[in-house]
Amino acid sequence: MYEVKILTGNETAAYAAMNSKARVVAAYPITPVTPVVETISKLVEEGRMHAKFIRVESEHSAMAACIGASAAGSRAFTATSSHGLAYMHEMLHWATNARTPIVMAVANRAIGPGWNIWADLGDALSQRDTGWIQFYCSNNQEIYDTIAMAYKLAEDRKVLLPAMVCYDGFVLSHTSMPVELTEFDDFLSEYEPVWKLDAENPFTHGNILPPEDFAELRHNIQKSHDRALKLMKKIEEEFFELYGRRTPLILEEYKMEDAEKVIVTMGAIGSEAKVAVDSLREKKVKAGLVRLKSFRPFPEKELRNLLEDKKVYVFDRAISPGSGGPLYNELKSALAFSPVKRIIPKIVGIGGIDVTKRTFERAIFERKVWIKEVVS
Amino acid sequence: MLISVRFHGRGGQGAVTASKLLAEVANSMGYYSQSMPFFGAERRGAPVISFTRISDEPIYEMSQVYHPNIVVVLDPLIMKVVDVFAGVKEGGTIVANTTKTPDEFVFSQRYLNIIAVDATGIAIKNDLLVAGLPVVNTPMLGALLRAQIPLEIEVLEGIVGKKFGEEGEKNVKAIREAYDLATVKLVRGSGKRKYPRKKKIKVEFPISTPSEGVAGKTKLWRDFRPKIDYEKCNNCLNCWLHCPESAIRLNEHVEIDYDYCKGCLVCTTVCPKKAITFEREVFADV
Repeated sequence: MYEVKILTGNETAAYAAMNSKARVVAAYPITPVTPVVETISKLVEEGRMHAKFIRVESEHSAMAACIGASAAGSRAFTATSSHGLAYMHEMLHWATNARTPIVMAVANRAIGPGWNIWADLGDALSQRDTGWIQFYCSNNQEIYDTIAMAYKLAEDRKVLLPAMVCYDGFVLSHTSMPVELTEFDDFLSEYEPVWKLDAENPFTHGNILPPEDFAELRHNIQKSHDRALKLMKKIEEEFFELYGRRTPLILEEYKMEDAEKVIVTMGAIGSEAKVAVDSLREKKVKAGLVRLKSFRPFPEKELRNLLEDKKVYVFDRAISPGSGGPLYNELKSALAFSPVKRIIPKIVGIGGIDVTKRTFERAIFERKVWIKEVVS
Repeated sequence: MLISVRFHGRGGQGAVTASKLLAEVANSMGYYSQSMPFFGAERRGAPVISFTRISDEPIYEMSQVYHPNIVVVLDPLIMKVVDVFAGVKEGGTIVANTTKTPDEFVFSQRYLNIIAVDATGIAIKNDLLVAGLPVVNTPMLGALLRAQIPLEIEVLEGIVGKKFGEEGEKNVKAIREAYDLATVKLVRGSGKRKYPRKKKIKVEFPISTPSEGVAGKTKLWRDFRPKIDYEKCNNCLNCWLHCPESAIRLNEHVEIDYDYCKGCLVCTTVCPKKAITFEREVFADV
């Protein structure tokens, strides 16, 4: 049984953490993710969520506390954004190498100065090399489902990696829409760690490692990412059979059967892109959409199969200065030896510029790479 | 069918809550719905907008609404600073909290439906006050349902009654009053639509220099006007220290700068001598 509630993306993330049975939450507030922390502390206070809520003095400490909790055998959750995520950077690496399957909600926001609180995927994309699994959501139901699915994936013994569930700040974090609040009892049981810190049986982890062993550890992390991709398909299927919702983990296709021009993008603008595809098809453009959900691991093979012989427009809501759009660059290298007609970079929605269906249309009809205004 | 609604208000008036309530009403009647507030540097009194979409098909739009069917204006004075008619579709609807009649509205569309209601009056009458300020969002939703929108007032009343607990009854009464008292009229406009030119902003590095009143003269944000009784005032400077807007000046005596005072009334509560009182603000020139 479940109820449908009108919830913001942030409230959704908090409910997902509760129903995924997260038992330790350590978090520090930052706009636009603060309501996740507020809602969780309220749910804990009301006795509806059975978790220990730890107040910490910074994001760096929040992640350190989550690593400790996870290493001691608890399912840990946190949420952050922008500068907070940047401040967490060192501990993100730590969580990966220690193999602690923490799940974190990230409301994507630009990083200052040029003080800006609005949507931009640059904060999470600049953490791509930390070894975390990264999902980018396009609506609130997806945030809800993905948090539970992320735990399932992260805690699998073939994976054992931390995972970020990202969603556009304000665009999703503060927008309310109907969410089916499914209970995950059949899908997720209590966390069973492979090993855990135990005072009765003392040992240490994270100690000095000689070069060969360290290389082995890093190689194992890469192999875990490869295995995670295969597991995602299974988890998608299992989730669909239980709850009847097709929540993608790897990617979502839209009108791709006969598409010639394909939009590739991530996050909330991937939902708006569906409206753009419909509108383009009314104008006799054979448009299609591939919305990438998993940026890490990057599903090279799946993308190659879909995008062969297509003209590909990559829409990045982020910029890696001196190089270009992060998604564009990744895709370009993934498609390097496949017969793609053309791959064209587009930079949209930076610093929270609103992205409409007409933004996509203008970007496709014009040669400009950057769209720096609202196309209303 | 896709109905889009834009709410204009000020921080603290409940525009965001109204937008979400409308989405809940639509959802409980079987429609797909979405409520999307736009956030800037929000403070009590700052202009705020929020959007609601209602549809019989799933909603994939994740952008703001630029061409609304319906606009709800919660604050009578906001029209001075924001173009609430911008982008409204021909034949669309404006629901305004106002003491004016529909014919007094001037706009550039050919025709608009104007729904006029004195929601502030209804809120004060029904004792709908938060921190001393009238809350107009629920009565405005009542008036909104007089527009071409397939939602039922009984459903709105049910949801509000349940959600607001002890305050529910007062809100439901205000909703019904606003629904009954609102005047609805199709009004003719000039038909000469202006398309404002886009401003080109070129900033290489964000630098700002100290200046007075960057948000304009913020007196329009004021619902209440504080007044210092100099017979009682002993110039202890407590009000000057606490004023969040630095709108209390230090001359021979403390003085309120009525060009910038937003009427937050912090000064009235921190004054140890109870020398600062307040009354409802009426602007002669607006």
